[in-house]
Amino acid sequence: MSKNPLLDGCRGERHLLLGNEAIVRGALEAGVHMISCYPGTPSSEVPDTFRRLGGEGRYRLEYSVNEKVAFEVAAGSALAGAMSLVTMKHVGLNVAADPLFTAAYTGMPGGLVVLSADDPGCHSSQNEQDNRAYARAAMLPCLEPVSAQEARDMTREAFRLARELQQPVLLRTTTRVNHMRGPVEFDDLPSAQPLVPFERDPGRFVPVPAVARKRHAAVLGIMEKARALAESSRFNTERACNAATRLGIIASGVARNYLADALTAGGWDDKVRVLELGMTWPLPEKRLVAFLEQCDRVLVLEEGPALLERDVRALAQREGCKARLEGKTDSFTELGELSTTLVLRRLAEFLDCPCPVKGGNAQAMELPGRPPNLCAGCSHRAVFHAVRQLFGDDAYYSSDIGCYTLGMLPPLKCADFLVCMGSSISAGSGFARASGKTVVAFIGDSTFFHSGMTGLANAVFNRHDIIVVILDNGTTAMTGHQPNPGMVQEMLGEGAAHLDIEAIVRGMGVSCCRKVRAFNLKAVTTALEEMRAQSGVRVLIAEEPCALYARRQLKKTQPQVAMVKEQGPDAAHCLETLACPAFYRDGEALAVDESLCTGCMVCLQVGPKSFKARRRDA
Amino acid sequence: MTTDKQKRMRIYFTGVGGQGTLTATTLLARTAMDAGLDVVAGEVHGMAQRGGVVESVLLLGGWRSPKLDFGEADVLLGFEPLETLRGLPYLRAGGAVFSSADPLPPLSVSLGGAHYPSMEEVEAQTRRVAGQCHFVPCRELGLKAGSAQAGNTVLLSVACASGILPFGVDALEAAIGKYLPAKLQAANLKALELGMAALRI
Repeated sequence: MSKNPLLDGCRGERHLLLGNEAIVRGALEAGVHMISCYPGTPSSEVPDTFRRLGGEGRYRLEYSVNEKVAFEVAAGSALAGAMSLVTMKHVGLNVAADPLFTAAYTGMPGGLVVLSADDPGCHSSQNEQDNRAYARAAMLPCLEPVSAQEARDMTREAFRLARELQQPVLLRTTTRVNHMRGPVEFDDLPSAQPLVPFERDPGRFVPVPAVARKRHAAVLGIMEKARALAESSRFNTERACNAATRLGIIASGVARNYLADALTAGGWDDKVRVLELGMTWPLPEKRLVAFLEQCDRVLVLEEGPALLERDVRALAQREGCKARLEGKTDSFTELGELSTTLVLRRLAEFLDCPCPVKGGNAQAMELPGRPPNLCAGCSHRAVFHAVRQLFGDDAYYSSDIGCYTLGMLPPLKCADFLVCMGSSISAGSGFARASGKTVVAFIGDSTFFHSGMTGLANAVFNRHDIIVVILDNGTTAMTGHQPNPGMVQEMLGEGAAHLDIEAIVRGMGVSCCRKVRAFNLKAVTTALEEMRAQSGVRVLIAEEPCALYARRQLKKTQPQVAMVKEQGPDAAHCLETLACPAFYRDGEALAVDESLCTGCMVCLQVGPKSFKARRRDA
Repeated sequence: MTTDKQKRMRIYFTGVGGQGTLTATTLLARTAMDAGLDVVAGEVHGMAQRGGVVESVLLLGGWRSPKLDFGEADVLLGFEPLETLRGLPYLRAGGAVFSSADPLPPLSVSLGGAHYPSMEEVEAQTRRVAGQCHFVPCRELGLKAGSAQAGNTVLLSVACASGILPFGVDALEAAIGKYLPAKLQAANLKALELGMAALRI
């Protein structure tokens, strides 16, 4: 096997790739020049793979500070004529929505592809929003791959369309597609692709009202061209095992996979004709109408909200199609993810056939849960412990997006509300002003740079009353240790510059600002006690590298671990208030699992009588 | 061993974050691909990595959906016994289960609040729905081979040696040689042998 098949692989080779890796290969085969991103599950492996590959000068990659900035960098790059890719998770596109809508008006001559990785089922997200809606609202052609091979093929096609139409193209995936693995057949990588030289044209690229009105009309024309391409797109396919059938199914997105498996499982392949949409916006209306004309009844299958169903209904009404249309029902809903079983049940209903689903076979059992938890040696746990001991339920805790959202769990209970990425300081400000209560806002370093800084500036500007705790673990921990401006310079390398959080906070006019080591409970507590006695904007920066990052990237070793020296109520209190995953009960006795203990020694500070340090066994 | 290339099979993997479940899934997927089978694998990353449950699937022979529902798996590979038990509803009646017999108690158990079922309970529940099941001391055998992670290869080896999969241990051995880093080869090949031996007991 070659070292980096993604970079070295040639035409005709087949490799097993993660969906996100296949997107990378597709972009490389298109000749991508520039990639910008903000990491977020399930999109993160796309930029991380580009980073791992290095690129040998083929492309430039940047981790931007947030999705809006990432989008703008990619837009500028595409205006300068480079094939550009910007990647983010679905909620990230909300952050980037402002440049998105305008980029669609001016067009992007170099070619701009926007990867939106949606997360139906909320595997690691705060909502299930369906970003197909953005294709409709912002006027973007949209491609939706459902296999690793298609992820490669459609990424390549997205770049081709983006250059041909000069319109940003939405590559919309869902968690199951980003994180599926399948064989991918390669083509050769091209030689360096030319830039499209920028031609000054303020009448197009500076959307003052007079320009914007004109561009709106122009974009409608471009989307009609895109529709013509969708009519003949090889990603929109039709099949009928039995030419006589008058029952049709229109499927899009990941529903195409469940449909294929359900038809096989039910043995129903010859009962229906199927139209699969891979290029899902704009809709190939002629093709849809022709399909509807061949059917008496048509079922629309899609995960999430009934966007396609509504559009097909409207089309059928406009064109006077007689086919009866079906889609979502009370039991086939827009909630969560689809599955083969759900689609089988819906098909059985549609075809009026007995459903072959037998369902689960095991009886429901009460099993101990295994929820995600802050790691052993996580610096957030130390800070949350100190805050809870000091403020208890007297303060309200404004949380943010990151590992530290897990601070909501007992016994730490350090999250009372959360709005979105970067909201802790601003939402906390509003909560404090309306309630008159003490509010402690928690925000991580990457999230602070993402959109916490603006909230802090606002808090200073509007004289809000809030204690902000910046949990600075030196990396973007939640999504896999991607670089951010807070990361130490030696880890960033030459391509990026370190920014000092304390200097930023003070530069914004916060005079009450303290920096402490997160594992030093006394220092954390003392600083917070001082801040409790004051008012206005107060910022505590608690520094300590993420335990996983310290071990894997910084290569830090800790020769000592904690052990229990004295059993009793003191030790039990520590277990109950700290709940470190390295603790376990051995019968009645409390013990520390050496393989999990990172040697943070926070338990020694919580229960000095009960714990002591010892050398790690060899 | 005869290999039925047309055999359609759905395998459900479950384990605990950090155990290497996804690496094991990918290794078996590559094994199957090199054996000439149609392969689709699916996994979920993200919050699951913080000590939570990690599930993945491997579909052989032409399935397309990278997600399984209850009652759809022909084979369940459990890298931790409690997770085997939790994953049982995914198994079709009469399916096969290959599981580690070495518990990793969740925090709720290690802190003394919740009860971890005994291995007898786990096995009894499994036998109620599975056509066959094998519980293997994966962690112990893995450590014997060189590392706890090698325990995953012990379990893959047991599954391959059972004759249920459309390829045998030889295919897995070839994949280990082709895809694992040189420094991990010896331990994983030893784990492969220990897995075969464990099935014979």
